[in-house]
Amino acid sequence: MRERILEKEGLFRPLLSVLVGLFLAALVMRASGYDPRAAYSALWSGATGLQSGPARSPNDIPIGLGSRLGHLDRFVLAQSLAKATPLLFAGLSVAIGLRAGLFNIGAQGQLTAGALAAALVGTLGRSGGGGGWPPWLHIPLTLLAGVAAGAAWGALPGLLKARRGVHEVISTIMLNYIAANLASYLVTHGLKDPNPKNMAPQTALMASSSWLAPLPFAPGSNLTVGLLLALAAAAGVAFLIHRTALGFEIRAVGVGMEAARATGVPVARVMVIAMALSGALAGVAGAVEVMGVHHRYVQGVAGNYGFDGIAVALLGGLNGGGAVLSALFFGALSNGATGMQAQTDVPDSISVIVQAVVILLIGVRYSRKKAAPALVAAVLDTDERREDEDAF
Amino acid sequence: MPSNTGQSAWLVALCWASLYSATPLVLAAMGGVLSERAGVVNIALEGLILAGAFVGVWAGGTSALTGLLAALAIGALLGLLHAFLTQQARMNHIISGLGINLLAAGGTRYLNLSLFPEGHQVPGLDGKFFLWIAVLLPFAVLLLLTRTRFGLRLRAVGENPESARMAGIAPAPVRYVAVMLSGVCAALAGAYLSMAEAHTFTSNMSAGKGYVALTAVIFGKWNPLGAAGGALFFGFFFALQTQFQISGTHPVWLGVDWTSPFILDMLPYLMTLAALVTVIGRATPPAALGQEEV
Repeated sequence: MRERILEKEGLFRPLLSVLVGLFLAALVMRASGYDPRAAYSALWSGATGLQSGPARSPNDIPIGLGSRLGHLDRFVLAQSLAKATPLLFAGLSVAIGLRAGLFNIGAQGQLTAGALAAALVGTLGRSGGGGGWPPWLHIPLTLLAGVAAGAAWGALPGLLKARRGVHEVISTIMLNYIAANLASYLVTHGLKDPNPKNMAPQTALMASSSWLAPLPFAPGSNLTVGLLLALAAAAGVAFLIHRTALGFEIRAVGVGMEAARATGVPVARVMVIAMALSGALAGVAGAVEVMGVHHRYVQGVAGNYGFDGIAVALLGGLNGGGAVLSALFFGALSNGATGMQAQTDVPDSISVIVQAVVILLIGVRYSRKKAAPALVAAVLDTDERREDEDAF
Repeated sequence: MPSNTGQSAWLVALCWASLYSATPLVLAAMGGVLSERAGVVNIALEGLILAGAFVGVWAGGTSALTGLLAALAIGALLGLLHAFLTQQARMNHIISGLGINLLAAGGTRYLNLSLFPEGHQVPGLDGKFFLWIAVLLPFAVLLLLTRTRFGLRLRAVGENPESARMAGIAPAPVRYVAVMLSGVCAALAGAYLSMAEAHTFTSNMSAGKGYVALTAVIFGKWNPLGAAGGALFFGFFFALQTQFQISGTHPVWLGVDWTSPFILDMLPYLMTLAALVTVIGRATPPAALGQEEV
């Protein structure tokens, strides 16, 4: 599939896409009367935490002698990294699906399922009073709940595709709505926080034994060991895709279903497994968000991560390592845009515009083939138009 | 529902509400039919609706007609972009569609915030105008597809571009026109949302209606009348939500509050999914749907 939707491997196309995206966004800002230089300067500070002026808070690290070169605000950097955490999981989720030729637009729903399941298992020990179960047991169990729920929610469209030929884009879109509504219903009815003081549609607070520890980098930020889990997942996905038999089968199905079937790959089973893995990664994203940040299921925990994951996967070239870089980039871009809006009044949706341009540029496969005029092509029958036949 | 007269009034209100909730879905679904029958997956409907909604309000400050025409123009323009990316640049149809959706979401929110920080109200248009179009358009699309030379070509290109090419029909131009018409339909749906329903633009006001319309297209097996029926089906459930919220009744059956907006919102998706798996059986899309290159 990689060959069918992206150009050759390498850093050139991704970097060019990002640069063109930032440039076009600057033109948009200029045209609507903002100063792109000031905006990007604010975005850079808001993304990296590198700021001018002397260090003020204990979170600030001076750079250069006596803060001559400004300081690093660790809190800001930590928030960017925290934003990148679910993006990385979601990007890996989409990448695994695409490797098998399956467009998992359902990471959103799988993430919701994982988040809700983790939130429920997280509350389990608490009803007994006190701290719940020992963390070495509770944390893996809670994560596992997220994995299982996400995998189940992801395997379903895989099954529907393999058995009934229902296109996964359609079934995952529907399952997104079903998951969002089901979760909303449950947290306003049976699973609502029993605490009468909490009127919000949320589950009960999870036992602290199921919380993910914050990284001791910037106190008060949302950065937890979840980031390390995400990095481990990226390494795992890279290993799976390139170094295992299953990964080979997944790629074979992605390149061409018929050819894979002819060489003995169990296509239906591989499709279901790939979608289950994809769903599991999205499910962990949800679990890590509730275990690390919210400590209960809250409405909107799934954010827009499902669709953002597509951008992360594509910019990352459907690779584990690439996904790490692109998740860091999009996490920083999104966090930086928030800071930019606060400082310069430029709407933060400029980051969405950049994201859109990146997706559109990375998907273009203009090179090599100038499409011959249809009539000429028909007469000469030269173009390779059969190549994409089994794209769906 | 206290009395008999109250009940019939409630039902009449429900019918009208269903028709109006279905209006944007029908319009966008016709866009979906036109594009997909020509072989181009149009997940960009969502973004096209949003762009139409914003431009209608932006350009329609003084004259509703100007706003409407501008909305249709942006729909055609973004349709052209989708056609170019999928046909010329050989981009995967889903990636192009999602990219356009993001572009529309980010672009409209950006422009709305920077141009109208205090909000922007427009007199807009009467909803009945759009309702009539939504009633007539499915038949018009059906006639176009089955009774005109262009419709025949469009279907030929969607089913088998090779044969179409051999018969002297260049697939690309037909697909360009089809996807641009598709954009016009979706933008019309957006213009309804902003100009007739809300009289203003709010960020992400399409709220997934493009995806719902696409589902309706599949529900209706890529047939314009079937797709309109699917849109009406979804519209009915959306209308039920508001009507139950107004009447405030909450019958609980099997421990589930069936009038909860979440349940009512979920049911049509659940039923469509179930229909795809069981009753309808294998939904057969146009044979060449999603091919990057012709």
